[in-house]
Amino acid sequence: MLSREEVLKIAKLARLTLTEDEIGFYQKQLTRVLDHIQDLNQVPTEKEAFVQHVPHDAEPFREDVAVPFTNHDGLMKNAPAVENNCFLLPAIMEQN
Amino acid sequence: MEFGTLSIQQLLSGYQKKDFKPSEVAASFLKNISDKNEKLNAFLQVRPDETLSQARALDEKMSQVEKLPLFGIPIAIKDNFLVRGWQATAGSKVLSGYLSPYTATSVERLQSMGAVIVGKVNCDEFAMGSSNENSAFGPVRNPWALDRVPGGSSGGSSAAVAAGLATVSLGTDTGGSIRQPASLCGLVGLKPSYGRVSRYGIVSYASSLDQVGPFSRTVWDSARVLEVMAGHDGMDATSAKRAVPRFTEELKAPSKKSFTLGVSRSWLEGVDSDVAKAFDVAIEFFKKMGGKVVEIDLPHTQYALSTYYLIAPSEASSNLARYDGVHYGYRTQSAKTSEELYSKSRGEGIGREVKLRIMLGTYALSAGYYDAFYLKANQVRRKIQEDFEKAFTQCDFVVSPTSPSTAFKLGEKTDDPLKMYLSDIFTLPVNLAGLPGLSVPCGLDSNNLPIGFQMIGKPFGESELFSAAHQYEQIRGEFPVADMAKGRG
Repeated sequence: MLSREEVLKIAKLARLTLTEDEIGFYQKQLTRVLDHIQDLNQVPTEKEAFVQHVPHDAEPFREDVAVPFTNHDGLMKNAPAVENNCFLLPAIMEQN
Repeated sequence: MEFGTLSIQQLLSGYQKKDFKPSEVAASFLKNISDKNEKLNAFLQVRPDETLSQARALDEKMSQVEKLPLFGIPIAIKDNFLVRGWQATAGSKVLSGYLSPYTATSVERLQSMGAVIVGKVNCDEFAMGSSNENSAFGPVRNPWALDRVPGGSSGGSSAAVAAGLATVSLGTDTGGSIRQPASLCGLVGLKPSYGRVSRYGIVSYASSLDQVGPFSRTVWDSARVLEVMAGHDGMDATSAKRAVPRFTEELKAPSKKSFTLGVSRSWLEGVDSDVAKAFDVAIEFFKKMGGKVVEIDLPHTQYALSTYYLIAPSEASSNLARYDGVHYGYRTQSAKTSEELYSKSRGEGIGREVKLRIMLGTYALSAGYYDAFYLKANQVRRKIQEDFEKAFTQCDFVVSPTSPSTAFKLGEKTDDPLKMYLSDIFTLPVNLAGLPGLSVPCGLDSNNLPIGFQMIGKPFGESELFSAAHQYEQIRGEFPVADMAKGRG
C-alpha cells in the first residue's frame, strides 16, 4: 500500500489539500488502482510504438492571426476577486 | 398535444404541415421539465424566458423549416459545454455559478440551424464517472427505474431524452460517457471519430480522448445532429479537415445492405446473461439482413482499462490544473498565501473521484514514473489501435454489448473504483483507438431495463455506421419508451 508520505507528496505536487480522512482513503484507493494497472507490464512493447491519435488531416498549424475577444466583462465577472480590473491574490511578499 | 416522445423527423414533419409552432413545443417541454425534473434531477439550469424567446423568433420563420435542419428542435446540453449566457458547472462545486463567456462551436452550429436549448443538464463532475453519482449537484435517476442510475458521465443528457424532456441532447464521451448512458436509458448514443466534432468550448477532461456527440431516439436523428455540428473548426487544432457527408441523405438510399460483423467472444466473457441474449438476438437480425459474423481477435482490449486509467488521469491532472481559485471558480476563504490559495481552493472545491484521478495522473507523470506508466500506456494504446486496424481487414464493424450490465442501483458500485470502471469495459478501447462508436437499443432485460448494442466503425466511418444501424432499426421495430416519458407529471 502507498504510504501516508507518498500520498501527501502526490497531493502536494497536485496542489491539493487533503483532510486527515482523505489521506487514508486515497492511500487505499490509489493503491487499488495502481495495483490493477501493473497488468500493463505483461505486454511487450517496443520503444518506438507510440499512439497516433490526431487524425492525419487535422491541421495543427494555422496562420497566426489575432482574433479579438470581445466579452472581456464576461470573463472578469467569473473571477472570485477583482481590483482595478485585475485578478486579486493574497500578498506574496511580507509587508513591513 | 404531447411532443416528448417525438423524433426530430416527426417534429420537422409537424412544423412543415403547420400542425404546431416552435413556441408551443418549447412551452410543452418546459412544462414537463418543471413537472418531472424533481424526480430525476437531470436539469441543472432552465431559462424559460430565453428558451421561449428563441422559439417565438422561429414562429415568425415557419417558411424556413426546410432551410433549417434543426428548426424548433428542443435540445438539452450537458453542463460541461459553454453556451454564452448559460452556466457551465461541469457538475463541479468548483464551477458553481460560472457563467459562460462564449459558446462552444458544436452548440453554436446547432443553434444557428434552429435548435432551441431547453436547459443545461447534470453530469458526473468533470465528466468523470459511469453513474452520474459523482455530480456535486446530486445524482440523476433513470427514467426507466428511479432507484437506478442513468449511466454516466452524461447521465442528465440521457435521462432528459429518455423522460421526454428534450428531443435530443449533447454529451461528451471520453471513455463511454455517451454510449453507456444511452444504453442504460434505451437511446441511440454516438461517439464520433476523434477529430470529427470540434472540442472548442467544452470543459476539457482528457484531450486526446474527449469527443462531443448526440443522444437521440433514432439513428436518423443522431445522423441529423452530427451532420449539422461536425466539421473542421479553426478553434480546435485536432479537428479534422475533411468534408462531412450529408448523413441523412445517405440514409435514403443505402449503398450496402449486408454487413460483416466482427465479434471477439473472449472479450465478451462475463456479461450479464440477459445482455448476452439480447446481443445474440441483434446479431441474428443482422444475419437476416444478409450479413455474416466473423470471429476476430482483439488481444489487447483486456488492457484497455489500465491504459485508460493512466492516460485519462494524466491528461486530466494537467487540464484541471487551471482550477486554482484565481481566474474563475471556487476560492477558499482561509488562504493566507498564494500557495495555500491554490491547494485549499482545489482541496475544498474538487470532489472525491476527481481528486483520485488528478492524483493518479500526477503520480503517473511524476519524475521516475513517466516511462513505467505514461509512456507504457501510450505504447499499449498503440497496440489496441492496431488490434482494431487488423480486425477491420476482416469485418465492417466490431460489435459488442455497450455495457456488461443494464442500469444498476444507486450506491451499488460507489465503494470500489474498479467495479465502477468496469462498466466501461466495452467502450474504453474505442476512445483509445479514436474510432466512432454507436450504441443502439437492442432489447430489455427481465426487469424491463434497456440493453444497448455497440457498433464500432472504421476511422471516420460514421456513414456506414448510421446506414447499418438504421437498417437494423427498421427490422428491430420501434423501441419502447420509458413510462415516464408518456404522460404528464
